[in-house]
Amino acid sequence: MSRFRRWLTPATIVRAHCDLPCGVYDPEQARIEAESCYRIVEKYAANEDATFRTRAIAIKEERAELVKHHLDVLWHDYFKPEHLEKVPNLHELFWNANKQVSKVKASTDLADAKKLLDQIDEIDAAWKATGGNEKTRVAGRPG
Amino acid sequence: MASRSSASDLGGPAAGTLSQMPRRTASLRDRLREPWRVAVTEASMRPAIEPGDWLLVDPTVARWPRRGSVVVFREPDSEELAIKRVAAGPGDRVPYADGYLILGADEAWLLSDAHDAELMAAGLGEPVDSRRYGPVPVELLIGRVWFRYAPIGRIGRIARTR
Repeated sequence: MSRFRRWLTPATIVRAHCDLPCGVYDPEQARIEAESCYRIVEKYAANEDATFRTRAIAIKEERAELVKHHLDVLWHDYFKPEHLEKVPNLHELFWNANKQVSKVKASTDLADAKKLLDQIDEIDAAWKATGGNEKTRVAGRPG
Repeated sequence: MASRSSASDLGGPAAGTLSQMPRRTASLRDRLREPWRVAVTEASMRPAIEPGDWLLVDPTVARWPRRGSVVVFREPDSEELAIKRVAAGPGDRVPYADGYLILGADEAWLLSDAHDAELMAAGLGEPVDSRRYGPVPVELLIGRVWFRYAPIGRIGRIARTR
């Protein structure tokens, strides 16, 4: 029977493709990358070495790109139309924060990196206001 | 076909012209080299096709893609083998964003059967189909799914819907 079954089994798999979201979202992911940008700007200002500075700029670029990625995932996948009732300026928050990321990429001004952190904190408040903490983290968020 | 004539009403190509244009399909010889039986994973074709179904594929179809038939094809971006239903064929008009688009002479619009809400309830995300990757070039189609030979309780033809 098992040989018969083996003979019957197709060798090829086709996907009836759909997304499989893990359902875990947290603005903290974006914030940690944005904090990296903040610290890099600090270190950049404190060090005149050309090689160090070049590396700092390159790494800031990478980290900023990750901020954008995490913000986008949160925006597209976690937030749903019904959340707009609770947070009517949701799209504006994300739009402004993403624009600020672009600014942080181009800037070595600590104030720009700080502004991004504040904007992510606003998004964090929106996430909490829609129950994100309880709904999307496995055992609530630490702290 | 209704949508074809409505396309011409809207200043699109005249009815029938697109279907007479030569289509770039993969040659039968190429298609015969592709798998003729397949196992399904994932759930976007529920309820007609369940994950775990074993299906037979007919690569010798002469007239296609026919609207309503289930096809195996290569996904445009990933080239992975996938299964969907033909929602519209060359020259048809399909709703897209706030308007519509007219498919080219060698394009098909492939959609999932399962509704978003059902998938969501089952803990799965949105179906990945033409709404995600756009029209599928006809030459990426491999064959029409025509028969389920396992599981035993659900053996039978895979119907074409209207």
